[in-house]
Amino acid sequence: MMKLEEILVTRNWVGKRVKRQEDIRFVKGEASYVDDLDMDCHQVAILRSPHAHARIKKIDVTKAQALKGVVAVLTGKEVAEQTKPISARAITRPAIQYVMAVDKVRYVGEPVAAVAAEDRYIAEDAIELIEVEYESLPPVVNIDDAIKPDAPLVFEEAGSNVLMHDFMEHGKAEEAFKEADLVLKETFKMHRYSSTPLEPWAIIVDYERADDAFHVWANDQHHGRSITNICNVLGIPIHKLRFQVPDSGGGFGIKLALWPYIAILALLAKKSDKPIKWIQTRREHLMAGSHAPDANVEIELALKKDGTILGVSVKDIQNDGSFVHTAGIYGLIKFATMVGCYKIKGTKAELLSVVTNKGPTVQNRGVGKPTMIFVLERMVDLAAKKLGLEPTEIRFKNFVTPELMPYTTPSGEIYESGDYPECLRKALQLVGYEELKKQRDAERKNGRYIGIGISSGVEPGTSNLGYYYTARGTPEYTGNAEGAIVSVDYDGNVNVLVGSVDTGQGHGTTIAQVIADMLGITPDQVSMNAHVDSLISPFLGHSGAYSNKFNDVDLGAVIMATKKIRDKMLRLAAHMLKLDVGELALKHGKICATRDDTKAVSFKEIASLAYKKILFLPEDEEPGLKEIAYYRNPIAKLPSRTDFNIQLTHSNSVHIVVVDVDVQSGVVNFLRYGIVHDCGRQINPGIVEGMAIGSTVHGIGACLLEDFVYAEDGQLLATTFMDYMKPLAMGVPKFEIGHMESPCPYTLLGTKAVGEGGSLPSLAAIANAVEDALTPFGVKVTSLPITPEKVVKAVTETKQI
Amino acid sequence: MHRIRLKINGKEHEDEVDSRVLLVHYLREKARLTGTHVGCDTGNCGACTVHLNGKAIKSCMTLAVQAEGAEITTIEGVSQNGLHPIQTAFMDKFAIQCGYCTPGMVMSAHALLAENPSPTEAEIREAIEGNICMCTGYQQIIEAIASAADAMRQAGKK
Repeated sequence: MMKLEEILVTRNWVGKRVKRQEDIRFVKGEASYVDDLDMDCHQVAILRSPHAHARIKKIDVTKAQALKGVVAVLTGKEVAEQTKPISARAITRPAIQYVMAVDKVRYVGEPVAAVAAEDRYIAEDAIELIEVEYESLPPVVNIDDAIKPDAPLVFEEAGSNVLMHDFMEHGKAEEAFKEADLVLKETFKMHRYSSTPLEPWAIIVDYERADDAFHVWANDQHHGRSITNICNVLGIPIHKLRFQVPDSGGGFGIKLALWPYIAILALLAKKSDKPIKWIQTRREHLMAGSHAPDANVEIELALKKDGTILGVSVKDIQNDGSFVHTAGIYGLIKFATMVGCYKIKGTKAELLSVVTNKGPTVQNRGVGKPTMIFVLERMVDLAAKKLGLEPTEIRFKNFVTPELMPYTTPSGEIYESGDYPECLRKALQLVGYEELKKQRDAERKNGRYIGIGISSGVEPGTSNLGYYYTARGTPEYTGNAEGAIVSVDYDGNVNVLVGSVDTGQGHGTTIAQVIADMLGITPDQVSMNAHVDSLISPFLGHSGAYSNKFNDVDLGAVIMATKKIRDKMLRLAAHMLKLDVGELALKHGKICATRDDTKAVSFKEIASLAYKKILFLPEDEEPGLKEIAYYRNPIAKLPSRTDFNIQLTHSNSVHIVVVDVDVQSGVVNFLRYGIVHDCGRQINPGIVEGMAIGSTVHGIGACLLEDFVYAEDGQLLATTFMDYMKPLAMGVPKFEIGHMESPCPYTLLGTKAVGEGGSLPSLAAIANAVEDALTPFGVKVTSLPITPEKVVKAVTETKQI
Repeated sequence: MHRIRLKINGKEHEDEVDSRVLLVHYLREKARLTGTHVGCDTGNCGACTVHLNGKAIKSCMTLAVQAEGAEITTIEGVSQNGLHPIQTAFMDKFAIQCGYCTPGMVMSAHALLAENPSPTEAEIREAIEGNICMCTGYQQIIEAIASAADAMRQAGKK
């Protein structure tokens, strides 16, 4: 791997709070989100199932079709005739699902028919005129009901609602549990929530009749895979699909699952003389825009009396609702954080993916790792209590220390960098832990219930995608990679295209900083078009924004492409100056002789040679200054059942939270929130800080407010932001942040993940604080969210949240 | 259908609109001012915040016909004479990630600072309680609004 000194020729921009070049269009209201594109479109509304589980007996679209202004109607029957079913990735039992309900509906909100009309108002009128005859079936909503032997089946062909059931043991698991002085057991219930990007899903499809081709604009965050999926279900070659991603108003994983709707729109577009547009409503988003699955997690911790954690055993049952494409993934990714920050010699995992009549699931920010860290960090606190240890003491005792790195966990994850004990020490210092404890104890005597919670989490990044297929044994995607094109224009400025999507991360700014330091120029000389276009942007199956891969493979591709450009410019400059490449240096947009600054050629002069004065080029040089590079993570191993290696970089953080619980109203108020995090080398601390805080607030929402509550009959009760409550400015604390920088040895710049960040450790930190606050009442927290109602009930009756 | 006349960002508009058309759809689709966004359809998220006769309102909760005779300011009207100090502060303080909430946030902040040039942190938090940001966790937005207030007070003194 290249060393940092070989990559960067100046150190003026990397690591600085450089202002984001994206912001000017956002702050002026001049961004181009899908719905902003100035195109003459018909608009689409989707008829959705009012039943959780029902057979579709008959659909009559006559009246809808007859409504003035209606252009086209599509039903599930046509979809089944014209498409292939959605492919599964992790589950092992057969489950046939199309992008629209065909013979039966499996959740409230499942698409049953779609209408394109002259405007959205007419389209909405039209779907009300579609007559559907349903025969309702008994719904299965909860995990416990779904796994009963006589449960109604969501997918009859599967013969069970458990579509994946796997058991794996890693390291010295048997020995760990045999040697234990104490085995602590607990069952945790995780609820459904979602990071709900503020811009809902948005799609435009234009059918180009003469070419029998589709042109798509969508705010998809993993177009590399979506292109494959859409072409597969539609049975069309990839060159018949041009895919563009303009500005995107947030992703968080939730925009990984809109591709089935692109297929629906493609079929409708074939019936329309204009492009057609569908903008998801918030209600549609909350019902059918995909959730993080709810889960029951049984965990056992094998412990020595002194607090040493020997082993972990997890039985993880995921309620994957009804989207076969995601089902099973959440369980598998837990291997990435199974042992958290701790040196634990053996693990056992029993994983079940259960389908029910709840809505679809998708990889929401953190993907199962928030649940795993929540469960583990809660258990560490419970173990400390049981053994009479301080929560800090048990953590210090078990941390993987920096001397042990690279440290391989029992299941094969490689922790390459980080100083977990120092991170905790710094966090304790940041909040003044000892003083806080005294204050808490004093206030408790006054009848004020203050609690302190600590959580320490690894934050893995860059998915090694093959793990999805572990149970099936046929990896379709493995490793991780991204592509980039870097070009120097006629005038010497730099242009960049990458395969990934920006959903708010400021990729263009970060890339400009890196390139500026690679070429000895300024970031404003580098412009990146963050809008992906499959016709011109480089892309792979892996291309997109997910699993915090940007800092690793996306920047890697940019660096390798820039390196190619730099090498070529140096060769051309050497030719122009009649010197050797070794005698040259890059300075202020010029290439000059190391010994004599006045012997120099500007980028513009070099570009002029490359693009225009072709006959003056050396004979063995190609004209032009445009280079493409694909870069892959260098340490990814082929994931196997014995050696997982699910994620490829490992950030970490400690959250220390102080809460004040009002036991009368049950409301949890924040008094302090301290975060010390380590995401390796930071390219732009302004951006990193926003990610660290923003991701933590997702955890606050999940921990205290957000819950997709379903009634027994499978009706979703939270379909607006009045029922599905997001954190607001008054409910979140002022965060105190400390940074550490332990560079990753396996990424080119030593960078690591920060996007999922605080969404992982925050859940346990807050829960631990609430439980600490309610110590006088003997309350134990084993479920989320911690709602006021649950707090009051726990204090007065149940002793359990 | 109704004929409405209104001023948007200082410019006269006259149009035929259906009685059920929301102001936000009128602004985005008829007036082609797409800086005003729709995020929730229920008045909770504030991405559609505009000023109607100087007051911050949610244009997804307002019918176009209700804007008859009104003066509307959208985000596009805020920077007609160069960037407003609030906009500059949002850029300086990294208060923007995906940008989707930004126009609404700026409009709410604008309304706050017009009424209260020296808001406390708590007052800023309260003023943007009707604006949801899914990305930033609000901290840098709050810092930006406080810093814009400082800048505007300094400019006022000059």
